[in-house]
Amino acid sequence: MNLSHNWLQEYIDLDLSIEDLTEKLTLIGLEVEEVEEYGSKLDGVIVGKVLETKQHPNADRLKVCQVDLGTETVQIVCGADNVAAGQKVPVATVGSTLPIKLDDGSLLTLRKAKLRGEESHGMICAADELGLGSDHSGILVLDENLEVGTLISQVFDMYQDTIIEIAITPNRPDATCHLGVARDLSAALNIPLKKPTISKISSIDKAEGYSISIESENCHRYVGKLIKNIKIDESPEWLQNKLKAIGLRPVNNIVDITNYVMYELGQPLHAFDFDNLKTANITVKEFDTEVEFETLDHLKRKCAPGTLFICDGETPVAIAGIMGGLHSEVSDNTTNILLESAYFDPGTIRRTAKLQTLQTDASYRFERGIDPNMQAFAAQRAADLILEICGGEAQDGVLDVHPIKTDSHTLTLRMSYLNRLLGTSFDVAQTIQILDGLELKLTSQTEETVTYEIPTFRPDLEREVDLIEEVGRLYDYNKIESPNHGIYVSTEPLTEWEILVSHIREIGVQLACREIYTNSLISEKEALNFVSKEQVIETLNPLNKDMSMMRPTLAHGFLKAASYNFNRSADDIRFFEVGNVFELNEQFSYHEGIKEETHVLFGLSGLKQIEHWSSKPVAYSIFDLKALAETFFTKLGILNSVQVELIDETTLQYSFKKIVLGSISQVSNSLKKVYDLDQDAFVAEFSINAIQKVQAKRPAFKFTPVPKFPVFEFDFAVVVSQDVDAGSLMKVIKSKAGNTLKNIDIFDVYEGESIGEGSKSIAFRLNFIDSNKTLNVKDVEPIIQRVLKTLEKQFSAKLRS
Amino acid sequence: MPDDIKALLQEIADFSVTNATELENFRLEFISKNGKVQSMFKKMGSIPKEEKAAFGKSMNDLKNAAQSRFEILKAQFDTSSASTKTALDDITLSAPTLPIGSLHPLTQTLEEMKKIFYRLGFTISDGPEIEDDFHNFTALNFPPNHPARDEQDTFFVRKSDDPAVGDLVLRTHTSPVQIRLMEKQKPPIRAIMPGRVYRNEAVSAKSYFLFHQVEALYIDKNVSVADLKETLITFAKLMFGNDVKYRLRPGFFPFTEPSLEMDIWWEANGKGRWLEILGSGMVDPNVLIASGVDPEEYTGFAWGMGVERIAIVRHEIDDIRTFYENDIRFLEQFN
Repeated sequence: MNLSHNWLQEYIDLDLSIEDLTEKLTLIGLEVEEVEEYGSKLDGVIVGKVLETKQHPNADRLKVCQVDLGTETVQIVCGADNVAAGQKVPVATVGSTLPIKLDDGSLLTLRKAKLRGEESHGMICAADELGLGSDHSGILVLDENLEVGTLISQVFDMYQDTIIEIAITPNRPDATCHLGVARDLSAALNIPLKKPTISKISSIDKAEGYSISIESENCHRYVGKLIKNIKIDESPEWLQNKLKAIGLRPVNNIVDITNYVMYELGQPLHAFDFDNLKTANITVKEFDTEVEFETLDHLKRKCAPGTLFICDGETPVAIAGIMGGLHSEVSDNTTNILLESAYFDPGTIRRTAKLQTLQTDASYRFERGIDPNMQAFAAQRAADLILEICGGEAQDGVLDVHPIKTDSHTLTLRMSYLNRLLGTSFDVAQTIQILDGLELKLTSQTEETVTYEIPTFRPDLEREVDLIEEVGRLYDYNKIESPNHGIYVSTEPLTEWEILVSHIREIGVQLACREIYTNSLISEKEALNFVSKEQVIETLNPLNKDMSMMRPTLAHGFLKAASYNFNRSADDIRFFEVGNVFELNEQFSYHEGIKEETHVLFGLSGLKQIEHWSSKPVAYSIFDLKALAETFFTKLGILNSVQVELIDETTLQYSFKKIVLGSISQVSNSLKKVYDLDQDAFVAEFSINAIQKVQAKRPAFKFTPVPKFPVFEFDFAVVVSQDVDAGSLMKVIKSKAGNTLKNIDIFDVYEGESIGEGSKSIAFRLNFIDSNKTLNVKDVEPIIQRVLKTLEKQFSAKLRS
Repeated sequence: MPDDIKALLQEIADFSVTNATELENFRLEFISKNGKVQSMFKKMGSIPKEEKAAFGKSMNDLKNAAQSRFEILKAQFDTSSASTKTALDDITLSAPTLPIGSLHPLTQTLEEMKKIFYRLGFTISDGPEIEDDFHNFTALNFPPNHPARDEQDTFFVRKSDDPAVGDLVLRTHTSPVQIRLMEKQKPPIRAIMPGRVYRNEAVSAKSYFLFHQVEALYIDKNVSVADLKETLITFAKLMFGNDVKYRLRPGFFPFTEPSLEMDIWWEANGKGRWLEILGSGMVDPNVLIASGVDPEEYTGFAWGMGVERIAIVRHEIDDIRTFYENDIRFLEQFN
């Protein structure tokens, strides 16, 4: 909300600088977002006398003028047609600043200039250039009796103000007006508050000429005041200035006064053209059906059933608390008006404002909760101003229909709780002193407690703790002293989960991958590349359909990032990501039906070795990813517990007993096409939740002595059918070779005529080790025989001699 | 040792070699087939039988001495090996690049925050990104008509009219983890809760529909605003340096009362301004009650801050979307 510094000062005598004031506002919770000067003092703009004008030698439309400024005579180039010798004119001298905004937001400051070769020391100004109206037809010619050298600010009444924009938190409806902000400042600065006064109010039940009936519990109070024979006109200058300064456009005297009172007291008001109300029976009600209604912004709005309306009999004339109707708007021809000052239920107004996507100054205040006891006062305040400014005759008193009354409640504040929560040592007297100025009514006090009646303009003060906040903010949190004890006496151990996830990120870096963060919301089409429609979790109100599904895998994000980088000339992609993935699944994690797990992805694509003098370009292969995956498991200490299973030609799955950890795979050609990838891509994705389960089952790490005896190495090759995979062979070798087998690797794979069609040869290198003795061929030979026998039986493998 | 062998040894030792030509002369003089050493061997025939063994040993020493001097000199002056150097022996050639691993800048910022909290004795806790209405809103004291509940801000995954089946949302903040932690653990509690959160907001340079927060929670007997303040200041100093200029001001969050925000003074390109870095407050009694903690016995504070916001400030990043594009040219600046 924009606050006018001038306006504020009508309610409180502030004797601090703008800097100190804005700092104070921020520190009491009314955060200042921007401070702007309104209007200009026109320093350096003075009355000058044009002594002579000559045609500019190089420009038809310019004149070269000699101007007497009192202390000197200067030459000024002027483009106005009406400039003539003998005139008294406003002159902006060199160095002065005019209220003309430049493109960068700063104001125009005059400098000495040369215009088409002629020197110009200042500028003769038009009215609009001085902020004095909108006239730009020519220079402003002043009264010829003015003395040369007089400041223009002494000739005209220049309106100036400082505008302070504050952010108001939703709990502070009382601060949505100048009086409310002044009250807070009064409490914080201990300066008395000067409230506006009104003529006597009397509430009446019946009025002549109109009636009010409330048929909804969402309207707690409706106050009306009829004023006849007013004259619609422009508002007086003081009123226009005030409104313009805070960014409101003056409309006419009636509308301006209702706005003025709203910004003064926080009570939104509405004025109906009384002669356009046919029945003059004001009814506040909802309809069961949708209603079409034209608001004064000329929009025909469809209003949902349940929207609260102000009706003239049965005909809606305003959407309650939001905007009036076009038909009953105050116009130039209006002579009689009916003022409305009401209280509407905040939730009802919020709902309608959201449905209509229409936030007005009125709805902004109603939905936060205005003072339910302000209506009569505000109506009378507006009426007083109307009678003063617009003339006319007002009805006696106000018609006040008040079915739902809000009583003020009391709150007791215990010093023990106050001091325990704030870490302070205030006593009752200090507390009362701090809260003084908020208009809380002290009802009783003891040595340990203080009890207040809470005014109805502070709906946020519901509980003891809310009062403690008032003490804290008015005292200033920055002034609360440090506790003189250290609060951190012992440390909490880190969870296993946190240690594991951090470790996995470290491993990602150690494996020379760059970490990426990708979107968790993806399109349905993208999601269906990986899972079926039955598995994917949809958001009901997506930003757009490209971000409607919760990601079921991290692979999508990787492929998108890879493609993005290839399009920007990257050639080596080594990424990892740790993130959550989501799936509809009966094995849920937190919420029934929803499986949410944390995964880690490793992705490779492109060239692992770019073209270089030392090597030809080498593209990544699935074995680079397999090596990476296995190193990953080694770093986690679970490689030896993990089983690998061939799922299809391009996918290997890793698991521990029944727990599937994840898989590695080569991205299919069809998927590469989807992501516009020319290069092969390889993706490993593992569930960290599953890894945690495996790690929990792993025995505690214990050191094994370094072997004292050498390794015995044995090589052999077998010939098998092409369709036998190496993994199956190795599985058998491992299971049959016994516990002296330390390591197994494949050092040659061969296919060719010498082997025979449909066959291949795989050469294994086995390392044996015994912790008690040096192994020799006699120890190993029987093992190899046993292995070969089984290989022959299961795979018809032949030893290749 | 016979004198002639001694003399030859001396001659070998004294032979001056200062370049490749002289080195070749040395070789011809002593080592070659017709050199002086070989010639000396020819004397063997004329040596008496009983002296042959001693002569043989001396000759061997002589030969070794000649050879070893030659090797030393060769290493110094032989240029022929230089001529066999290939173009690839040039070590000024460029080296192949090694791939480098790196943590994402958001992880780096988060890790720094975590380290600070670890020093203060906090642990880490976590919860789901798909959250129920109770944990995300109700237990956190969001009144029924609070703006954050409006559809504009929250992504819904499940909406239900059946009161027994709660709505499911993408969590809008990490605060629900507070509730989960208090439900499962009795005070004292001291934990931070980092994680991904979602807001249904239009994407721009300043705002993204997902981002990351770190929530901190401390519940114990007699925890006060003074303790909160001290902790915030400690954090700011460790994160932004000991001379950081800060201020605390009142704020508003449904789940804390009183609520405070912290600003730090931030200077960039010669311009300074107050920059909000975190929101905090004393845990609202309603939140404690909803989580089964007695507010008359325990008090506590909570605070939350955006990882992106802090990373943006520290690295002067001008567009939040950069974080999720994963452009290598961006990532590699954060090695």
